[in-house]
Amino acid sequence: MLETAVYIPWIAALGALVCGVLCLMPSLKHYAGPVCVVSILAGFVLSVGAFMDPGHPLDAHGHEQHAPWTHQHDKQSSEEAEDTSHNETHTHVGDKTDHHDDSKIAEGVVIRTKPWIYVGGYEDSKTGQYTYGDPTHDPEDTHGLTIAYGYYFDGLTMAMLLVITGIGSLIAIYAMGYMKGDPGVARFFSAMALFIFAMTTLVMADNLVLLFLGWEGVGLCSYLLIGYYYGKDSAVAAAKKAFIVNRIGDFGFLIGIFLCFQQFGSTDFAVIFSDPRIAEDGVALPFAIQAIPFCLMIGAFGKSAQIPLFVWLPDAMAGPTPVSALVHAATMVTAGVYLIARMMPVFSAVPESLTVVAVVGGFTALFAGTIALCSNDLKGVFAYSTVSQLGYMFLGLGAASTVGAVSHLATHAFFKALLFLTAGSVMHALAGTLDIRKMGGMGKHMPVTKWLMFVGCLALAGFPLTAGFFSKDEIIAATWIVGIEEGSGLFILLGILALVTAVLTAFYTFRLWFIVFSGETRYEMGDEHHSEDDAHDDHHAHEPHEMPWWPMNAPLILLAIGSVVSGFILVKKGVMVKLIAASSANLPILHNPTADTIHVLMMIISGILAVGGIFFAYVFYSNNAARAKIVANLFKGPVALLQGKYFIDEFYDRVIVRPLFITGQVLYLIDQLVIHATIMSFGWAPRLIGRSVQPTQAGRLQGYGLGMVAGVAAIALLLLFLL
Amino acid sequence: MLPEAYTIPFQLIMPAAFALGLLLPFKALGTRKGAWIYSATTSTLSFCFTLYVASQFNWSDPGRLQFVGEIPWVDNWNLGFSYGLDGMSLWLVMLTTFLMPIVVLGSLVEVKGDMRTFHFWLHILEAALIGTFIARDIVFFYVCFEFTLIPLFFLIGIFGHGEKLKAAKVFFYYTFTASLLTMAGILYVAWFNTTLTPDTPGISEVYSSIEFDPIDKPEGMSDQEWAEQEYIGQWTFNIKALWAAGRMMPFEAQILVMLAFLAGFGVKTPLFPFHTWLPLAHTEAPTAGSVDLAGLVLKLGPYGLLRLAIPMLPVAALTLAPYLAALAVIGVIYAALVCWVQKDAKKLVAYSSVSHMGFCILGLFAFDGTKDAGSIGATGAFIYMLSHGLATGGMFLCIGMLYDRFHTREIERMSGLAKIMPAWAVFFCVFAFASVGLPGLNGFIGEFLTMLGTFNSRTVNGTPILGPWFAIPAALGVILAAIYLLYLVGKIVFGPLNLPHWEDTGETGIAGGHDLSYREAMTLTPIAVVCVVIGLFPYPILRSLEPAIQEHTRFVHEEIDRIEAEAAAGAAAALDDSGLNAKSPSRQDAKEGSPEDKQTTMKPALYQTAEIASEEDLALLGIAIPKPNNTEPEKEAN
Repeated sequence: MLETAVYIPWIAALGALVCGVLCLMPSLKHYAGPVCVVSILAGFVLSVGAFMDPGHPLDAHGHEQHAPWTHQHDKQSSEEAEDTSHNETHTHVGDKTDHHDDSKIAEGVVIRTKPWIYVGGYEDSKTGQYTYGDPTHDPEDTHGLTIAYGYYFDGLTMAMLLVITGIGSLIAIYAMGYMKGDPGVARFFSAMALFIFAMTTLVMADNLVLLFLGWEGVGLCSYLLIGYYYGKDSAVAAAKKAFIVNRIGDFGFLIGIFLCFQQFGSTDFAVIFSDPRIAEDGVALPFAIQAIPFCLMIGAFGKSAQIPLFVWLPDAMAGPTPVSALVHAATMVTAGVYLIARMMPVFSAVPESLTVVAVVGGFTALFAGTIALCSNDLKGVFAYSTVSQLGYMFLGLGAASTVGAVSHLATHAFFKALLFLTAGSVMHALAGTLDIRKMGGMGKHMPVTKWLMFVGCLALAGFPLTAGFFSKDEIIAATWIVGIEEGSGLFILLGILALVTAVLTAFYTFRLWFIVFSGETRYEMGDEHHSEDDAHDDHHAHEPHEMPWWPMNAPLILLAIGSVVSGFILVKKGVMVKLIAASSANLPILHNPTADTIHVLMMIISGILAVGGIFFAYVFYSNNAARAKIVANLFKGPVALLQGKYFIDEFYDRVIVRPLFITGQVLYLIDQLVIHATIMSFGWAPRLIGRSVQPTQAGRLQGYGLGMVAGVAAIALLLLFLL
Repeated sequence: MLPEAYTIPFQLIMPAAFALGLLLPFKALGTRKGAWIYSATTSTLSFCFTLYVASQFNWSDPGRLQFVGEIPWVDNWNLGFSYGLDGMSLWLVMLTTFLMPIVVLGSLVEVKGDMRTFHFWLHILEAALIGTFIARDIVFFYVCFEFTLIPLFFLIGIFGHGEKLKAAKVFFYYTFTASLLTMAGILYVAWFNTTLTPDTPGISEVYSSIEFDPIDKPEGMSDQEWAEQEYIGQWTFNIKALWAAGRMMPFEAQILVMLAFLAGFGVKTPLFPFHTWLPLAHTEAPTAGSVDLAGLVLKLGPYGLLRLAIPMLPVAALTLAPYLAALAVIGVIYAALVCWVQKDAKKLVAYSSVSHMGFCILGLFAFDGTKDAGSIGATGAFIYMLSHGLATGGMFLCIGMLYDRFHTREIERMSGLAKIMPAWAVFFCVFAFASVGLPGLNGFIGEFLTMLGTFNSRTVNGTPILGPWFAIPAALGVILAAIYLLYLVGKIVFGPLNLPHWEDTGETGIAGGHDLSYREAMTLTPIAVVCVVIGLFPYPILRSLEPAIQEHTRFVHEEIDRIEAEAAAGAAAALDDSGLNAKSPSRQDAKEGSPEDKQTTMKPALYQTAEIASEEDLALLGIAIPKPNNTEPEKEAN
């Protein structure tokens, strides 16, 4: 089945194309939703197939390969895997690693299909002849750049694929209901399917450049989907901002790719990971290799909205809510986490880079969490909470717990998608109202949505035994373990930050939930009537109502189940440990008595903190936020600062955007007044000379005579003196 | 079918003959529609013929000139119409004949004057462009190169907008004056060739490194013997003979001739700071003129540099490369910032051409790889030329369609056009994102390859010719391109619907604001499709371009090899032991080489598997790579 998995992106691309054609046929446009759902579901089926079936594709050398995640720990139960002694690696997969047991990187299965960019030719090792790129040749023979549509399958890819296509399908099904009757529905689903194409390409790519294709592709789809309501200036500005801020990150990413090609001679993961400087410990690395993780990190920070490039994500909520759920919560924004996890061999070869990742992640988590405390925008709270949770994932990566980071990625995808979609239901019911101050007691109108969101909130808050609890705990514990084991004060500080953020998360999540669903009923309808041919449109305008089971609430039930149990399965049952162990993201996991003690301790502390946060939210907000207002009045300054989002946008505008624009204006003036004028002045030279000698040609005979005599005299003098 | 030697003349004569056909005294040709239909048909026929030529082309050997032939002109000076086609020329001819029917289709409404004159000059322009791309004789090349000015002068001067006469004049004088210097350079090289004799030292090495294309070669004579007999000491204008002559010239002469070439080709490209004619000409030109100017005429600059200047004057190219690259990088960033503050959509796109062509020059002078393989930068520059022609051409067509409807191009005066012109909006976005360099569309391929080539530029005695310090600022252009193009897209395509309103007539554009007609859709569709196809499957093009480009950049690499060999010999003489003299010049030898070679050859990893250098060496190696001046620490270490 693994061979068929390479079609996952292309099926989605086909779906996008069909939906694009449906844009041209208004009478058929309501088929766009089903087409999109089918193309994503097909991807999910293929992913599951690839996951279940070991597959026997041949590698470039004609050896049979086994999918790594299916063959390891066959004899070990997951408990035994947990008990493996410290510093033991969980790898030993595929036939190559069998010979190199000391290698810490599990090799994935590489399937190369068609060539994409081949330049530079290669020398055939057998004939010695110089020929040009051939899709079937061994990449190690090349002297040039060979970027193929090659796909790399390992545990990390499988985890990502299942999350993207699985949650993507559920969100697309929900979107069929949410977008029903919208005039641009075919355009919407076309972009959604294109997004799945780009995102699956991103996680399946076997080289950095193809990954970059997916990376920019998701950026494009994000641009198109944020700007979906293109009639609104705010949506257009948000879309533009998202793309440009991401481009700043891409700048770093590109430099990283160039460095990889310069240092490793290839951008293929297989080549990079097997390079002795990366694969073996204790090799002193040149500056150029040390710079690679830092460059790639900039790209990751852009895509995953970390300090200092996080400003685009809150604005990106201008898109339709299913987009916020899929693109800006569950999948695209986790691409940065994926990139670092994928390039973990390079990052772990340069430990300082991981420290930087941890610091940025830890501070972003706290920073975004504080902004979420005072936000009054229904989606804005979740947007900042996404930034905050992504910060956790980066902290996990930095603390060398890829398992924690990727588990949190997966569980976060479940509960954040659930939260956004239920928020979308509320917004849908209120015809576009987003300000939570205009909501209250919605639970009476929307009981199902109320309890679905409750489940999501519990998971986000890290309530004991929910999904978010296990995965977040994994990260917090890992941070403390690094801090204590290595005696690193920095990591202990980060651990404290992570715990503080955990309280904040629980508090702001339930603050939102209590404001929206509890207390007296009060609401204001918005002005959005995005249902042209919807039968219940009249009904719409009067009072909020529960969403229909199909196609909207049914997928939410599945997401809610995932939000509860996924953490237990992925973290406690060791599924993620296995998957990560069978991937390039594998890092040695510390298991010793101290670490285990810290782990248990952290579990208890973070559980108490989560419950405490929820309790405070209940105290302040269960009764129409009356108590909260008293407290807010005590801290007017900080609240204004938080509601202004620390004025980061304004800062960037003053310090970067405007000076750059003024520079442009000055340069344009220089262009016209200096450069162009200088060159045009060459044209005046002949004219000036002509003008200046013109009076001599006035037709006066005496003048000509004088000139002639002077000329003769000059020649005579010359002859006299020279000869 | 057609005899091979006649294929190319036929391709050249076809548009010229069609142009003359327009002058026939048929009444139907005098009408607007008649002339337009005639022109659309004939330009399509030319394109079909190019497809035929492509089908006859030997794709397995695209580095060699094919369909070679010669028609004598002035025998005493061996001046003639000699022509040939390799991978480079073929793709440019293809682009020319591909864009021509498209601009004809796209310019039905806009042309206000005599349709017959308009299409006459368009066909003449096509012929002149094809002539430039197929020329094997430098005078023939130069004549066609200059001849492109005449049709463009009339196209802009008669059919343009606003200050059309001023624009036409500035364009003509500016580029014409500059190319006169190029002519002087060409004549100097041709004269220099007559001073050579077969006994001149080093001449046979130079001749042996060039693959000539002999015509009427007697039996039993090798290509080189034939060429030496034919060209050395004679008046000749054969490009390859002049490559040899140029390489024999002393250093100062090479630099001077290079500057002369740069005057013509650099202005045409346009290279900062000689770009100011371009926005003026573009803005006032009719759409067809803008598309041809951006898509084809600008390409003459880099093409001339690659075809003539680099192989003829490799030492000068190597010496001037950092300066040119610096100008190119400044141009990339400067023009991008200027783009951002433009108020006229067409002027914005015009300045974006300046920014984009900077990447082209950067790639051309990157000189990465070796003499046998891997000129990623130059290949990237070439595919960038093709991509830029398509994407920018498409943008100009789209803006022309707006002008047809609203008679304005001011960005501030319209917004939200996606609402009433969705199909137009889709095309405009495709071209804009192709220009931004989004992977999956054609712009990315060239941009990525030129920057990668620049980054991994070859080193001469340890100092990279260009290297990361040129590639990194150029990559900033990627961010800026997104800023100014999304500003344009965000203003015009998206946002609340707002159409121009004329106070004098009280008329608004709403009445005219209809979506694309079938004619317009047919105009844009082929370009958009090709943009996507090149973006996703550039491999066949790259494969057929690369050998041809390698033929032209090879001599620079030979120079580098020579310089490094001399330096190594000098070093060996100076310190007679120490293993420094094992420095090998080419990448092939690097396999056996010592660890230091890996720096010179840029891609250490491939050879690293066999033997790993000591930690100290590796650290030095790495620290040395990104810095331009790294010879010192290396020597100290040894």
